[in-house]
Amino acid sequence: MPLFTALTLLLACDQGFVDPSREYGPPVPDAPAKASRVHVPTSLGAVDTPRRDIHGAPIGVSCATCHAGPGEDAIVVGDEGNPEQMHGTIELLHGGLACDACHEPTDRRLLHLADGAKLEMAEAMQLCAQCHGPQARDYQKGAHGGMTGYWDLRQGERVRNHCVECHAPHSPKPPQVQPAPRAVDRVVFPASETH
Amino acid sequence: MNHARSYPAFLRDAVGVATDGGWPFYTWMTLLTALALVGVNAWAQQVVGGMGLTAMSDHVSWGLYIANFTFTVGLAAGAVMMVIPAYIYKDKAMHDVVIVGELLAVAAILMALLFVNVDLGRPDRAWHLMPGLGRFHWPVSMLTWDVVVLGGYLLINLHICGYLLYTRFLGRRPEKRWYLPFVMLSIAWAVSIHTVTAFLFSGLGGRPFWNTAILAPRFIVSAFVSGPAFIVLALQVIRRVAKVPIPDAPLHTLLGILRVTVLLNLFFVGSEVFTEFYSGGSHTASASYLFLGLHGHNALVPWIWTALAFNSVAAVILLSARAKEQLWLADIACALTFVGVWIEKGMGLIIPGFVPSTLHELVEYMPNELEWRVVVGIWAAGLIVFTLGIKIAVEIFASRMRHQLPDQEPDEPQAAGGA
Amino acid sequence: MEDTSRRTTLKALGATLGAAAFARAMAPLAAWPEDLSIDELLQRHYKELSRDDMVRVLRRLEQETLDQYGAVVTIDDVRPIPEVQFGYALNLSVCVGCRKCAEACHVENNHDRATNQSYIRVLEIKNGSVDLAMGTVDYDHAVPKKGRSYMPVQCHQCDNAPCVSVCPIEATWKEPDGIVVVDYNWCIGCRYCEAACPYHARRFNWHKPEISAEEINPDQAYLSNRVRPQGVMEKCTFCLHRTRKGRLPACLEACPTGARVFGNMLDPNSEIRWVLENKRTFVLKEDLGTRPRFFYFFDK
Repeated sequence: MPLFTALTLLLACDQGFVDPSREYGPPVPDAPAKASRVHVPTSLGAVDTPRRDIHGAPIGVSCATCHAGPGEDAIVVGDEGNPEQMHGTIELLHGGLACDACHEPTDRRLLHLADGAKLEMAEAMQLCAQCHGPQARDYQKGAHGGMTGYWDLRQGERVRNHCVECHAPHSPKPPQVQPAPRAVDRVVFPASETH
Repeated sequence: MNHARSYPAFLRDAVGVATDGGWPFYTWMTLLTALALVGVNAWAQQVVGGMGLTAMSDHVSWGLYIANFTFTVGLAAGAVMMVIPAYIYKDKAMHDVVIVGELLAVAAILMALLFVNVDLGRPDRAWHLMPGLGRFHWPVSMLTWDVVVLGGYLLINLHICGYLLYTRFLGRRPEKRWYLPFVMLSIAWAVSIHTVTAFLFSGLGGRPFWNTAILAPRFIVSAFVSGPAFIVLALQVIRRVAKVPIPDAPLHTLLGILRVTVLLNLFFVGSEVFTEFYSGGSHTASASYLFLGLHGHNALVPWIWTALAFNSVAAVILLSARAKEQLWLADIACALTFVGVWIEKGMGLIIPGFVPSTLHELVEYMPNELEWRVVVGIWAAGLIVFTLGIKIAVEIFASRMRHQLPDQEPDEPQAAGGA
Repeated sequence: MEDTSRRTTLKALGATLGAAAFARAMAPLAAWPEDLSIDELLQRHYKELSRDDMVRVLRRLEQETLDQYGAVVTIDDVRPIPEVQFGYALNLSVCVGCRKCAEACHVENNHDRATNQSYIRVLEIKNGSVDLAMGTVDYDHAVPKKGRSYMPVQCHQCDNAPCVSVCPIEATWKEPDGIVVVDYNWCIGCRYCEAACPYHARRFNWHKPEISAEEINPDQAYLSNRVRPQGVMEKCTFCLHRTRKGRLPACLEACPTGARVFGNMLDPNSEIRWVLENKRTFVLKEDLGTRPRFFYFFDK
């Protein structure tokens, strides 16, 4: 009877690591959090022209190319670019907003907030956050917009998407995409549709 | 008594008996050997080419092998249905033939162990399962309990059969203390092997088709159908082919047991069907798939209804008065219910547990040719073991296989007497 | 006597034929040892290896990968960071069902190419139901489709994992940081864990994985993305070869909508903690008591 009990206990106990030092890796030393930076896309502060490059992607022109300074009439380039041609690619599907809701009327290189404060193009996220508070909050907390890099900022930095990487500012609803191919089930018997 | 001389003589004579017989015996054994070798070859291909050579998939990850494993464990447990009347109720006529049940238990456990081993993706690592040698996750994993109880049951029955045959071979009366406790243990142990096998399935919360309290009772009852049914048929064959004078009494006892267990089995199935279908809902999807087909997928429907038909017809035959007198009718009933339980417990229990999958996907399964070859091969191997065991037992009980001491005259042949 | 000796001769002949037939039947096994070595056959459980044993095993496995796949790889034994408990959350309001996570998993974890295998399965479910039976994995149209929502499912690294309980040889166990791992060199391939998992998270290597040398991700770990042998189980490991070094899992990095949130639940300032404390979260099949580490949530 004692033998049986001993055997049971011997067999039943979770035998952990034979070498207990193998159980954990080295602790991570406390370090100040590395950067969590936002990747600013080049499409920001540019407008698509009707022209395409060899890959078929639209060629963009930065706003500053034509709007060289403050004032609505401060257009540098002459008749080569007329307003319809330069802005004709823009389809505005953003909740019934007008252009001037975001674009600073006195300086077309800039944006503006609701209180009139001017904003650089690269800082457009502040403008998005002004109306889309919950999403901005989620973004700050890491629950919206994705990231690449490190979850542990003691060990490495992180790169965040800019809002416009997914939400084109003039028509923010992301387009539909074709999904990546699924795994091929090893056996499908008989060849029939799943519902 | 010099066992160092008489035991090897026992083994040598056993080999002699195992390879001696008339042409029906040789034909039977050659056929079984050929089938077994076909199975071995198919398994060898599977080991090298991967389990992907079978029809199993990540959706239905257990198939014909585990279905047969479940059934043969039940068969081994059902053999104990002879032991109870023989030893507990002191049925003398049953006592004389109880060794048939014990030999069936040995053969069936060997088959079960083979079925589990051919289902392993890495049979080269089977040693990992050996307590003491590998890493044994006992008592948490039910599979470890299965290793313990199946191994123990095999050893118990090997001991009982070996001891009884060896003592008779020596012409002596078996001593009660060397076999009676083991026999009593085998009764409880038989229930445990099949309960543990049932718990393997019923313990899985993620598989609602199996996660039911009635699974273990269903297993035990269907074991007590398949065991006696096979033994009745085996006894009939032994009577005719080996010309052993077995009286009708043990057969009637077994048929009496079958009369009850076949009905109980049908009742349990009915109870399961009611519980599944009365309230409906998505947790009954597996039962719907099995009995009625689901969304156009109905590969198992003919199987289960055939099984139910076989079991019902067998029940009716067994209940009729004619079957008592005309044993050939009872033979048919036994054959029908044996196949019926094989389907119901195998394909009708294992496969529906996986259809639909845990993410509710409907991927069906039908065993392919390679799996059938392996399965037939293992059944053939089991029948080889059983045939040889019976043959040796018959020769020993008829006193034709008897230890000859150098200075002793051969004994007078005895009747197939009790211990 | 004539009869007996003829009988004996015939028996001997029969036995010889039988032995020859048996050898023929077993002939396919001759090809088997090509991929096996004595060291692998005798290798003990992961927890029973000393540091030196482990180094030997890793070098041997790297050599085997080179021999069998022609790829030079490094396999590390990456252990948990102390005081880290991983959690993963997925935003159902934002997932569009593009399957980029499944694709990234396929590439990162050196899955079999022929089946495009992945640890992640994405369900498309009709609106108005959370019943998985109303979902399908089989969609090929542009996403997100109107009237549908998407739910990727992968291993939940359950705190009360049924797969861990049922394994007869402890080839799968829960690590201190919450990840449930498999020792691919200890697993016997009985597939009991696959039967036990309520989330279809486990995968079995029905064949030897097929993957070309160029496609192999060479940064590997023993318990996660090294190329697995035939006949063993595998599953999502939360990319422990990355996450235990502080990096994000591959599926999260690939997600274009940012539906995935991962981190250390013990860190009160982590993103995962914020989600768990502030969002409407739930787990799949909660009634089974598996206590997953993978949570689903909604924006509002």
